[in-house]
Amino acid sequence: MAGLLDRRLWVVTGKGGVGKSTVSAALALASARAGRRTLVCEVNTQERVSRFLGHPPVGPEVSRLEENLWAVDMRPQEAMREYALMTLRFEALYKAVFENRVIRYFLRFIPSLQELVLLGKVLWHVRETRADGQPAWDTVVLDAPATGHAISFLRVPQVLLDTVPPGPLHKEARAMRDLLVDPGLTAAVLVSLPEELPVNETLELAEALRGQVRVQPTAVVLNATSPLRFEEGELRTLAPVPGLSDAAREQHAGALRSREARARLESGVGVPVHEVPRLFSERFGRAQVEAVAGHLAALVGRWA
Amino acid sequence: MSGAGEPGSGVLARALAARRVVVCVGAGGVGKTTVSASLALEAALKGRESLVCTIDPAKRLANALGLSALGNVEARIPDPVWSDAGLTPRAPLHAMMLDMKRTWDELIARYAPADVRERIFANRFYQALSSALAGSQEYIAMEKLWELRSSRGYPLIVLDTPPTAHALDFLDAPNRVLDFLDNDAARWLLTPALRAGKMGLKFFNLGGSFVMKQLSRLTGTETLQELANFMLAMSALNEDFRERARAVKALLRDTQTAFVLVTGAAVDRQDEAIHFHSILTANGMAPVAVVVNRVHTAPTAEDFDRARALPSPLQEKVLRTLEERATLAARDALGIAELQRQVGNTPLVQVPRFEQDVHDVRALAETARYLVGEASVSV
Ligand SMILES: Nc1ncnc2c1ncn2[C@@H]1O[C@H](COP(=O)(O)OP(=O)(O)O)[C@@H](O)[C@H]1O
Ligand SMILES: Nc1ncnc2c1ncn2[C@@H]1O[C@H](COP(=O)(O)OP(=O)(O)O)[C@@H](O)[C@H]1O
Ligand SMILES: [Mg+2]
Ligand SMILES: [Mg+2]
Repeated sequence: MAGLLDRRLWVVTGKGGVGKSTVSAALALASARAGRRTLVCEVNTQERVSRFLGHPPVGPEVSRLEENLWAVDMRPQEAMREYALMTLRFEALYKAVFENRVIRYFLRFIPSLQELVLLGKVLWHVRETRADGQPAWDTVVLDAPATGHAISFLRVPQVLLDTVPPGPLHKEARAMRDLLVDPGLTAAVLVSLPEELPVNETLELAEALRGQVRVQPTAVVLNATSPLRFEEGELRTLAPVPGLSDAAREQHAGALRSREARARLESGVGVPVHEVPRLFSERFGRAQVEAVAGHLAALVGRWA
Repeated sequence: MSGAGEPGSGVLARALAARRVVVCVGAGGVGKTTVSASLALEAALKGRESLVCTIDPAKRLANALGLSALGNVEARIPDPVWSDAGLTPRAPLHAMMLDMKRTWDELIARYAPADVRERIFANRFYQALSSALAGSQEYIAMEKLWELRSSRGYPLIVLDTPPTAHALDFLDAPNRVLDFLDNDAARWLLTPALRAGKMGLKFFNLGGSFVMKQLSRLTGTETLQELANFMLAMSALNEDFRERARAVKALLRDTQTAFVLVTGAAVDRQDEAIHFHSILTANGMAPVAVVVNRVHTAPTAEDFDRARALPSPLQEKVLRTLEERATLAARDALGIAELQRQVGNTPLVQVPRFEQDVHDVRALAETARYLVGEASVSV
């Protein structure tokens, strides 16, 4: 297994709350440590990645966090403006068009236009080059938004191809889709939790990625697993002591769920499953993300 | 610690007894559906007939309540479901599962003239609007609420809401839909077409406006055309539809409507809840309570003592497990303290994290005891 280092775009996806931003931050850190110029993109959410890494929020400008690591939190308004300026070329023209009340109202109802410009901006960074023609970024990590179904954001190019008649928007959507589905470029990492429903959702997501976005999942990260700690005999010994018995049984149940989740994901998605143990701390920050990065070393691949 | 009898513990019981509508809001996955169903169930147990309108409930909960996605209609929780759980409600409980697409279709079917209806249904922008447009899910949930509220006469309706990334999407939803139907803007755009009379319906010309030309460089002319055709069709919806969107908006600010904000306990995620709270408050919809769900309880000193009396290696294993639980409880206490600082006078209502998912009527009833202050989380 070659690991993520062979690809340039790492899409981290999953339902809200499973640990997507944590995994994105950890993968970005691992990529930067491997000596790659790395950009981690959050999209229209409460910014988390920079904070997880112990840095102040970055906002909508690409900002340097530390050696080899940059971050950006993309916002629809700015992305739309950049996109429009690229197309219309003149600021004055942009103002005339985009600050027109009726036009703004119109734009809101072009389905997914907002998502399109956001995803468009991420993909623009993937294609961005330096003066010498080399890619500006060795790794772009996308912490994909999870509103509703995680798939909807990545499906935007296809939805537009289906919705919008031929024209510039259509062309843009096709270019984006082609990038996303390029297996030499894009890796998709699915984040899941060791619980029945999140696992079901991950299985559905994997199928939707394959079927609707035509992206092959690269790996699953099973986050917050519990180790098998107690033997059945020990649990029986504890049974008469309710406080201890409940605690031990709950830990044990978590361990069994972790094992079951792993088995279901391995057979259901058919890609390697990388476990990140559940970490216990009052606050979740840099130290925890470093630990997560350590657990994901095999997923990333060769270390610098 | 929020014990029974402390301020805040009765606030949800009072809302269930007095309000006509309770809307549960919050980020996805925090337990909104669970809390909504528990609240409605509690009202029924106490003698107030109620309906819970759920969105995307966990399958097992849906099964337990006898809900089916088909129909988009309410069903009464049958007697055996109650008696199996050892409960005797004093009033009926009804539940339904909202089908977004169907609710949109019903709305259009009701308000669009027959010849326009099919054009709307067939338009690609309608399909996107009814399923994908940000805010349209939120809108349709509120729209359904309004319909249920005005035509069915349930004493209490509890509304679950879709997982929303931004509090503003939720509040802005009726505005977006009203905007969409806004006469001024539509008239401005559609004037050339309306002037063209019937022909215009088919061969809608965007006119030679400068801004339109610029816009079409971005989107392509055909996209604008199709969108304009859609808006033209939508503009044929009668004034009742607009009236309704306004009514939906008003219902949210009605004094008989209460908002309940649901959140998790961990400190790292409180910013979302705090943001939601401030936006609701700024818009005259201050939540009556913030439900902090899945709070971890700390092991007691006696638990640790008993663990130390165990033989090795069991002792180390149990101690480690207890320490982990203590850490989670400390983490939640931090989060709760932070939340309370930020939401000022809004009472916090804590629900513990149960070992099992909340998937049946009995578990909902147990959850409800914490919601109405009959039981409390010990930290
Ligand atoms: N391996 C882990 N162990 C313990 N807690 C975790 C772990 N991964 C994530 N978390 C916790 O879960 C919270 C949500 O993670 P986050 O990455 O923000 O989720 P998402 O981006 O999927 O919504 C974090 O704030 C952190 O407290
Ligand atoms: N206090 C709790 N303890 C244990 N499990 C819970 C608790 N609250 C909710 N759950 C479970 O968590 C899952 C998600 O809850 P749900 O109410 O569907 O969340 P939401 O509607 O916010 O997405 C469900 O399986 C539910 O049974
Ligand atoms: Mg996130
Ligand atoms: Mg729900």
